[in-house]
Amino acid sequence: MGMITEKLPGYIEPVPGGSVLLTSMDKLINWSRSNSLWPLTFGTSCCAIEIMMASGAARHDLARFGAEVTRPSPRQADLLVVAGTIVKRMAPRLRTLYEQMGEPRYVMATGSCAISGGPFIYNSYSTIRGADEILPVDVYVPGCPPRPEAFFYGILTLQKMIKLGETIRKPGVRKKPVLAALPPGVTLDQIQKEMAALLEKDAVINLDEANRLREEWANIKMAGNEGA
Amino acid sequence: MMDTLRLLGAITALEPRAKQKENTDRAAVEVPVDAFYSLMGRLKSDPQLAFDMLYTHTAVDWSAKGEGPGEFELVYQLYSMTHGHYLLVSTRIPRDNPVAPTVSPIWKIAEWQEREVYDMFGVLYENHRDLRRLFLEDGWNGFPLRKDYKDEFMLERPE
Repeated sequence: MGMITEKLPGYIEPVPGGSVLLTSMDKLINWSRSNSLWPLTFGTSCCAIEIMMASGAARHDLARFGAEVTRPSPRQADLLVVAGTIVKRMAPRLRTLYEQMGEPRYVMATGSCAISGGPFIYNSYSTIRGADEILPVDVYVPGCPPRPEAFFYGILTLQKMIKLGETIRKPGVRKKPVLAALPPGVTLDQIQKEMAALLEKDAVINLDEANRLREEWANIKMAGNEGA
Repeated sequence: MMDTLRLLGAITALEPRAKQKENTDRAAVEVPVDAFYSLMGRLKSDPQLAFDMLYTHTAVDWSAKGEGPGEFELVYQLYSMTHGHYLLVSTRIPRDNPVAPTVSPIWKIAEWQEREVYDMFGVLYENHRDLRRLFLEDGWNGFPLRKDYKDEFMLERPE
């Protein structure tokens, strides 16, 4: 792969139709990269239970997204999932692991601790306030810890990013996908009002409505009994 | 196996100054620091009690802003493998002169646990064989689990 990505563009570019070929090659390479992520197992606290154990197990099954081959060695991995609190002593080791991974490498920060330090952000003598203080992070997955579904959303986002992203001509340059755009014709106000109405409806019990429903059910039951 | 009441009765018979701690789910006593070491020795050697395992030792920093120097409470969790009963023993030492007797001659594991408490709280154990830092670097300044600890890395909570 290294030879193809490093030498080939220089030979192909001048050929007529070469840039079209390169673009399709980008697509192929990015497609294969995004569907064969090999995560490095780096769980330092409770997020590891959700991210590495629950996500990989049969119920949620990380293999559906082609990212189930967790590796204990950074040489064989290309996705570093920071699952847990990073303390001062762990930080240099984490940086070393990141540097030992082959290019292209991706980093996901999962859980509050890896994003910002979480509950340990204030008055802590040891906790690093976010993995992005020591590594370039591609995808953040919030939660304490995030559910496997949230982690999968992160994986899908990363796959989107990889598919959009690097080209042979400009390796290392990554485009970030747009994830949170409102559909056309919908405003934030409308969504807020709808949510507020839903919450209100859930929080209030309408006694008249409940009584009416109960009577209706009783009638249906009686009718059923008479029929039998 | 002794139930809580009989256990507490036996300990009060051993050491009359031992006070029962309130609102605990297991037997718990607090002793003055001068009676502490001899009580711990007898807790292990007494065949009725036979607390042969010290499974946790930690400290609590009881100090508040503007209320004098405060105290450290040293907490020892004991377990008897012979009888299967638990006991919590605690003692208080002044925070400005944190000196306590080591229990490492009684339970060997206390050497490590006391090193940890020294590392985090700066409690000095008399006659400890090797009182060095355990988790933090040797050149670390201060004891981070003390309530008044501050360093330049730490982010203060905004009021």
